[in-house]
Amino acid sequence: MKIKDRVLKLSFIALLISMTAAMFYAPTASAHGEKSQAAFMRMRTIHWFDLHWSKEEVAVNDTMTLHGKFLVFAGWPETVDKPEVSFLNIGIPGPVFIRAGSWIGGQLVPRSVSLELGETYEFKVLLKARRPGDWHVHSMMNVQGGGPIIGPGKWVTVTGSMADFVNPVTTLTGQTIDLESYALDNVYFWHAVWFAIAFAWLLFWIKRPLFVPRHIAVSTGKANTLISAGDKKVGLAFALGTVVIVAASMGSTNDKYPVTTPLQAGLLRGMKTFQMPEQTVSVKVEDATYRVPGRAMNMTLTITNNGDSAVRLGEFETAGVRFLDPAVHEDDTNYPDDLLAEEGLTVSDNSPLAPGESRTVEVTASDAAWEVYRLADLIYDPDSRFAGLLFFWDAKGTRQMVTVDAPLIPTFI
Amino acid sequence: MAATTESVKADAAEAPLLNQRNLWAGIALYLAFYSFIRWYEGVYGWSAGLDSFAPEFETYWMNMLYIEIVVEVILFAGINGYIWKTRDRKVMSITPREELRRHFTHWTWLVCYGWAIYWGASYFTEQDGTWHQTIVRDTDFTPSHIIEFYLSYPIYIITGTASFMYAKTRLPTYQEGLHLMYLIAVIGPFMILPNVGLNEWGHTFWFMEELFVAPLHYGFVFFGWAALAVMGVVNTEVMAITKLLKKDLA
Amino acid sequence: MSASQSAVRSRAEAVQVSRTFDWMILFTLFTAVLGGYHIHYMLTGGDWDFWTDWKDRRLWVTVAPIVSITFPAAVQACLWWRYRLPVGATISVVALMIGEWINRYLNFWGWTYFPVNICFPSNLIPGAIVLDVILMLGNSMTLTAVVGGLAYGLLFYPGNWPVIAPLHVPVEYNGMMMTLADLQGYHYVRTGTPEYIRMVEKGTLRTFGKDVAPVSAFFSGFVSIIIYFLWHFFGRWFAKTDFISDDAS
Repeated sequence: MKIKDRVLKLSFIALLISMTAAMFYAPTASAHGEKSQAAFMRMRTIHWFDLHWSKEEVAVNDTMTLHGKFLVFAGWPETVDKPEVSFLNIGIPGPVFIRAGSWIGGQLVPRSVSLELGETYEFKVLLKARRPGDWHVHSMMNVQGGGPIIGPGKWVTVTGSMADFVNPVTTLTGQTIDLESYALDNVYFWHAVWFAIAFAWLLFWIKRPLFVPRHIAVSTGKANTLISAGDKKVGLAFALGTVVIVAASMGSTNDKYPVTTPLQAGLLRGMKTFQMPEQTVSVKVEDATYRVPGRAMNMTLTITNNGDSAVRLGEFETAGVRFLDPAVHEDDTNYPDDLLAEEGLTVSDNSPLAPGESRTVEVTASDAAWEVYRLADLIYDPDSRFAGLLFFWDAKGTRQMVTVDAPLIPTFI
Repeated sequence: MAATTESVKADAAEAPLLNQRNLWAGIALYLAFYSFIRWYEGVYGWSAGLDSFAPEFETYWMNMLYIEIVVEVILFAGINGYIWKTRDRKVMSITPREELRRHFTHWTWLVCYGWAIYWGASYFTEQDGTWHQTIVRDTDFTPSHIIEFYLSYPIYIITGTASFMYAKTRLPTYQEGLHLMYLIAVIGPFMILPNVGLNEWGHTFWFMEELFVAPLHYGFVFFGWAALAVMGVVNTEVMAITKLLKKDLA
Repeated sequence: MSASQSAVRSRAEAVQVSRTFDWMILFTLFTAVLGGYHIHYMLTGGDWDFWTDWKDRRLWVTVAPIVSITFPAAVQACLWWRYRLPVGATISVVALMIGEWINRYLNFWGWTYFPVNICFPSNLIPGAIVLDVILMLGNSMTLTAVVGGLAYGLLFYPGNWPVIAPLHVPVEYNGMMMTLADLQGYHYVRTGTPEYIRMVEKGTLRTFGKDVAPVSAFFSGFVSIIIYFLWHFFGRWFAKTDFISDDAS
């Protein structure tokens, strides 16, 4: 019997140990989590472009940046609140990196900002690697009343060990602390003190017979005998002690931290916009269809060149997927493969469009990305409308951007 | 009460009042199972649970959902069916000692119910708050929901109904009718599960951001209050046990 | 076997049985209250409790006591009036905080890697002890509600200040001033919680001078009084032992 008890007890301890161990098992693999948003939301809200991830592999404590531009689309859908309160977030699985900084138009944006429809902004996010693994790093904008609008993502590998991660910060009172573990002892200390007091109070009562005997006493009119004068004294001591400890600890805390400030909050307005080169090309969408079996979108566009140099259409971008005509433009930014259709754009006549000339062309953007990124689902959305960016280049390599926004008709055969 | 030779013999032969092994085995069963679940989500949450469109999500998470739902339905029907089928038809004529023994067994169930409520309503529910900080929520069936809503809640529901059924079929105390607070203590937390419907519906057109104090979640709060009805059960039990012990305790 | 036969063989066994029930009842009460209280608290005040950059001097101070005095009041209503046990508030709060700590440590930190110094729970113990003692000394619901409820609201902020003060030290960061708590919220990326979701003080009129926390605490104490009354009656109701007819015909 004794041995059996011991075995039981030991198994119980082993169980507790293995439970604790299991909880801290940290695998290093991952995936992402976009594609969930309705395609029309991704196509008509924030258009991310010129994105650049500075590194594909980064060691713990080292930094990388994700920078680029985004256009707040003028044809913003009704279902999403306007981006009057937005937050430049970063699409990573929690604090696998810390966000060491984020800027819009050179202004630090730790808080929410107000954005204007139709404007382009430059942004940068500085990340410091914290937890090893392969992480998908997305640009991301949260819009109040809309939710997260997730941009393109690229895999970044973090190497090293999280145990080595440090996060030094120098306060305005001149101390340098490690924010990763700062004040943790203090948190544990005070919670331990209060738990100890609470347990002492509970123990004082539950060490005596409880429910049945006390019920008998109360139900036979002897409730008063259950609380003795000594109990009352002890109770009073606990209450007074509590108040004294609260007051004293508050006082000593104020002595120790004479300089404290309230949490900082409030919307940042008037963000600096980015001026794109003047637009001299105009585009009219005559019609647009999506061919389901071919995973291709066909647009009939009438392009007019009002500028003074000949231009060619080199890229169509929507929801982070880029379709290029390699004869005009090739990507040299190491853009994520799955979002890049290097030869995905075909134009029926892509010869340079001379100044003053107007031409109607058939443009096809085709790639498996339509399916993979669930953009083809657009045809099942309640607002079957597509949008995107067209990029034109002239012979000198000067680029200009034109937005398109039009109804889309699916063809199923 | 002088113990006769016969009653001493009977003492030696009869089952103990409280089967401690069942009690500890019950507690350990939940602990072991949930430790495994915690390990599983720790590993496969990160490796297969971040993107609901990935094939591995189907393998490790959706399959888990399908399996758990089937197993839960079987367990629910099996356990409650068994308790009902083996009910005591002469429950009012049992001996006081047998009644006391059954109260202990009943409390073994209630201990498991409390334990299951802890895991469901506290451990796995608050955990949801941190997981939804980590992923971009792209499905109703996130790993955290598959465990919280469709595993830990059904488990306490099964435990709660079983303990209610046990009381109703084996204890004279509960033959008067339906114990109102017992019903609330079991049905209230049960209603949290249907309330998941409201939650998911709300999240289909509301933001996918995680705000715990959002009014959308208040249905859970309301039904969570029902856990307090366990106090009514405690009081009824104390009264019943007092009746059995009173003259010996005096 | 007659019905008058005793359930136990001796007084010693009766005492032992009664004590064994004590522990089983306590365990169930503790875990069930923990579950109900925790789900209530996390969904009515949880975000303020989860993150240091929500623990401000206006809304956190106001909300936390109001939503957390509920279960203590209800459990007191049962344990004091039926058993003269002045532990209802403390047992509820200890249960809640144990549930929170297990979660913050094993899940917020152990599963998703937020440092514990950003996601520790609020301290509710001082108010709970005072609430229990006032009930014991006064044996009055009204007194406990009015004096205890107010004390519960007033003790909350000072009871937590030693824990959060170090995180309210200011820092200059890339040309902006913020507290270390703000910086934690900014650094440790919460993918699902953009900054605008945060409900904290965004500037107020300074009718009572510059101190926001005492005014908030006082208001919170005032509402806590009302909530205490309400939940006392909830507690009484939930402690009922009534049967309803199970005869549907």
